[in-house]
Amino acid sequence: MIHDQFSRRRFIKTLAGASFVGSFAPMRSFGATPVTTKKLVVIELSGANDGLNTLIPYANDTYYKLRPKIGVPANKVLKIDEFYGFNPGMTAFRELYNSGQVAIVHGCGYAQPSFSHFTSMAYWHTGVPNGGERYGWLGRLADALDRQKNPHFLVNIDERQSLAVNAHDHMPIVFDDPNRFARKGLFQSRGLLDMDHQMVGQSMQLDFLNQAEASARNASLKIKNAWDQYKTPVDYGINPMGLNKIASMISAGFDTPIYYTGYRHNAFDTHVQQVELHQRQLMYVSDAIAGFLKDLKRIDQDRDVTIIVFSEFGRRAAENTSLGTDHGTANHMYVIGAGVKGGHYGQAPSLSDLDGEGNLRYTTDFRRVYASAIENWFDYKNSKDILYGDFEPFQFWS
Amino acid sequence: MRQFQRFLTIFFLVVGIHGVYAQSPDPWKNDLGPIAASDWNNRAAAHLLERAGFGGTPTEIKKLAAMKPAQAVDYLVSYKKIPNQLPPFEESGIWEPGFDHFPSSRPAATEMAKKTGESMGVQVKPGGNRTLQPIADKYLYWLRASLLETQRVGYWWGNRMLQTKRPLEEKMTLFWHGHFANNEDKVRDYRKMLQQNELFRKEATGNFRTLLIEVAKNPAMLVYLDAAVNVKGAPNENFAREIMELFTMGAGNYTERDIQEAARAFTGWYFKDLTFVQNNDLHDAGLKSIFGKTGNFDGVQVIDLILSRQETSEFVASKLYRYFVREDVSPQMRSQLGKLFRDAHYEIAPFLRTIFLSKNFYSKDSIATHVKSPVEFVISTYKKLELTELPGIVDFNDVTDVMGQKLLFPPNVAGWPEGKSWITPGLLMIRNNFIYDTMFAPINFVPRDRVPEQFYQNVPVAEKLSRGLDVTSATKPDGKEMVSMSSTADREEEFNTGLASYVAWRRAIENVKPIVRAPAKVNLTAMVKKAKCQTTVDVVHLFVGQFLSVPISEQTQLQIAKLLESDLGTNDMSQAQSYMEDALRNTLHVILALPAYQLG
Repeated sequence: MIHDQFSRRRFIKTLAGASFVGSFAPMRSFGATPVTTKKLVVIELSGANDGLNTLIPYANDTYYKLRPKIGVPANKVLKIDEFYGFNPGMTAFRELYNSGQVAIVHGCGYAQPSFSHFTSMAYWHTGVPNGGERYGWLGRLADALDRQKNPHFLVNIDERQSLAVNAHDHMPIVFDDPNRFARKGLFQSRGLLDMDHQMVGQSMQLDFLNQAEASARNASLKIKNAWDQYKTPVDYGINPMGLNKIASMISAGFDTPIYYTGYRHNAFDTHVQQVELHQRQLMYVSDAIAGFLKDLKRIDQDRDVTIIVFSEFGRRAAENTSLGTDHGTANHMYVIGAGVKGGHYGQAPSLSDLDGEGNLRYTTDFRRVYASAIENWFDYKNSKDILYGDFEPFQFWS
Repeated sequence: MRQFQRFLTIFFLVVGIHGVYAQSPDPWKNDLGPIAASDWNNRAAAHLLERAGFGGTPTEIKKLAAMKPAQAVDYLVSYKKIPNQLPPFEESGIWEPGFDHFPSSRPAATEMAKKTGESMGVQVKPGGNRTLQPIADKYLYWLRASLLETQRVGYWWGNRMLQTKRPLEEKMTLFWHGHFANNEDKVRDYRKMLQQNELFRKEATGNFRTLLIEVAKNPAMLVYLDAAVNVKGAPNENFAREIMELFTMGAGNYTERDIQEAARAFTGWYFKDLTFVQNNDLHDAGLKSIFGKTGNFDGVQVIDLILSRQETSEFVASKLYRYFVREDVSPQMRSQLGKLFRDAHYEIAPFLRTIFLSKNFYSKDSIATHVKSPVEFVISTYKKLELTELPGIVDFNDVTDVMGQKLLFPPNVAGWPEGKSWITPGLLMIRNNFIYDTMFAPINFVPRDRVPEQFYQNVPVAEKLSRGLDVTSATKPDGKEMVSMSSTADREEEFNTGLASYVAWRRAIENVKPIVRAPAKVNLTAMVKKAKCQTTVDVVHLFVGQFLSVPISEQTQLQIAKLLESDLGTNDMSQAQSYMEDALRNTLHVILALPAYQLG
């Protein structure tokens, strides 16, 4: 080992003049002025969360007729008003709601819905149902907001990149474990692997690849540093859903406006004996979101952050024969943040007037929520350029 | 030594071209005229093999470079002359006739069984608990088994790409797969995916009209674009829309009305098992008006109407061009290519021959400017390592999937967006890490097609059943609270999908043949010995010449040579012959980690 270290040092010395990228400069020095100081965190609940057992219409008899076995009894519901209450796992979430920071958007969906997780998720990612669009809605938003191609504009915490952040001009930073957002490579090769080889101007494609490489190298180091330096007293619960990693980046001063993360691996696909599992997962989601907001408040960033929570579709209104629920349609979305005007938005779908398949009829095109974020949070008034259509925004923010 | 000199020649040739590169526009750009014999060399041959195939080994490049350019192009394009003894796909034999009318969903399966007493050839239990359990088991079994078998088809195809003597055949098959992109997730029958793959291969460089008609009648496509619900009186526009938008004309060249009318012409097109059938009772034989023409058109006539449109020739020709040559297509080039394709009567081979022989194809704008797709990246890496078998570690399907291109599972009907979209910072690292894992195979590799990942509940279910828990308790998600729970009440229910999922998994790995899990048999020592490298610089030149299409600065190469020297403890390769393998692998990893390695 000693020999290795010695030769490495000597070796690096021979590379005098080579520029090692990966400075420790504060993030704000990257772009000139940040395009926006606002931040949007989108949380995907993969697998199709059961909306009817998340926000329970406990005053509606039809709900209990549809779900005689798995309906949450009214006395267990965490009531928020005389019609609705949250799943018993969502204590922290109810507190957020009661403090006026949670907007519930009812009946979100789209026409001719797909019942495939994969396909429907792609529709939500792109914001173009039945379209085959190649860029994500957040990717297109980034391209519209930021002409400077800020290398930190989009961050996606996951094992692989979500279609939602796929952009034409922007290179999303995608990582899962900050300690492993790193290239594999042996000790003695690190110097060469982390070196910018200055192969500039040979072709557009090579320049692009070098930028991607620089971004990876650059970001991986900074993200690891942010993570290493991040200490918080806040408890995010059992599954922080990457929100603690996002907090570490915000805390380190990253000027990233768009973050994407989620509850992964189709976890909400609750076909069988869902009651306890679902409650537990909702508790994790609720604890993580509440913890995140608390943490942001601690570092005085809470008013700059809005969270959107969605799932690719809801579940069938009636329970199935295995104490679970099958794939459905319309669902709630949640818009959460210190600057959000809490309450109900949109129209709840009728539980008695289901479609031919026994599904809720959607009442709110989900892209209205996207349009709201684009127009009223990021102040970009041409959401139709991004969403390829006119979707009336809500005003969630005071 | 001669080998080495050859590489030096390539190297300096490369640097020489590079010198011109950054300065003046290349007069060859957009010139579709043929190159001269004097323009033909190793680099040109290597470029042709990169694009018309999956890269070349030094031997293959040398062989091609020794020909005249027209001969070399013809060697690749008129490949049917070359004997190609590759084994057919070796089926596991999982198909059963009962899957012929595979239910659209699990509820559909169990509902049908409730009504008729059977589904998929499985009877409902006459009594006892969970009378529909065999149905649920069978349903999930086929989904799992067909998925695994399709992944084996992916392996088989990947092996063909690696082993074939007709690289263009596989390259075109891949093109058509991305063009007529169907996904096993929806088709849910590996046989139909395999059949479609063989269709693409059979018609790879034939006539586009023939291919288009065959594709329109192909069972996988019929399933994928909802032919089942395209019937007289209730036409479904899915196929009619995609054939115009994605397969032939491109968006904006037709009206919604054209689509609605075309959909009627395709009504009644369906299949029985693996064969196309036209159901005349469901076919709408009435008058249709498409592109301003009126008639009792059927599907084939609609295809001919589409092919008569100039946009179609331009759309398909440009897409081929972007796949093989480069991404930017000027409007003039677009119409030139369209004309070329029309003049060839939609024959692919002569069109490709012109492209591959053109000055434009060898211009600096084209050479080494193509971002390799994940499949190209992985296969060409293996090929240049001179492997003869696709390694089982790491998993070919997984590694291409995580890079964004899993064969037989394209993301949607639009296929894979090529070019820049293959690359993100994270994906670059994943590509780098694939190289690392090829050089230094993970010793903790787990085959995820056989061993369920954590988020599947199958392992805990199996474990709890073995401990004697009842099905209700065993399938209750998550083990934590189970420790204290006594196994008492097994619920009365029609079926349990948690149980079915476990049973399906177990039967699938019983019945589907395993993929052999062996790491890449990399032998860089042999490569270096064969090339008679004397110094570490020789080795770096050898690797750069054999693997990269983009020139690397001499300074960088010297730095890498220093690393190798430090690893070996000598600059004299003859001294290091007995122990150099890992150091060579480390060196090659550093070279292939260069961003430039993404280009071909």
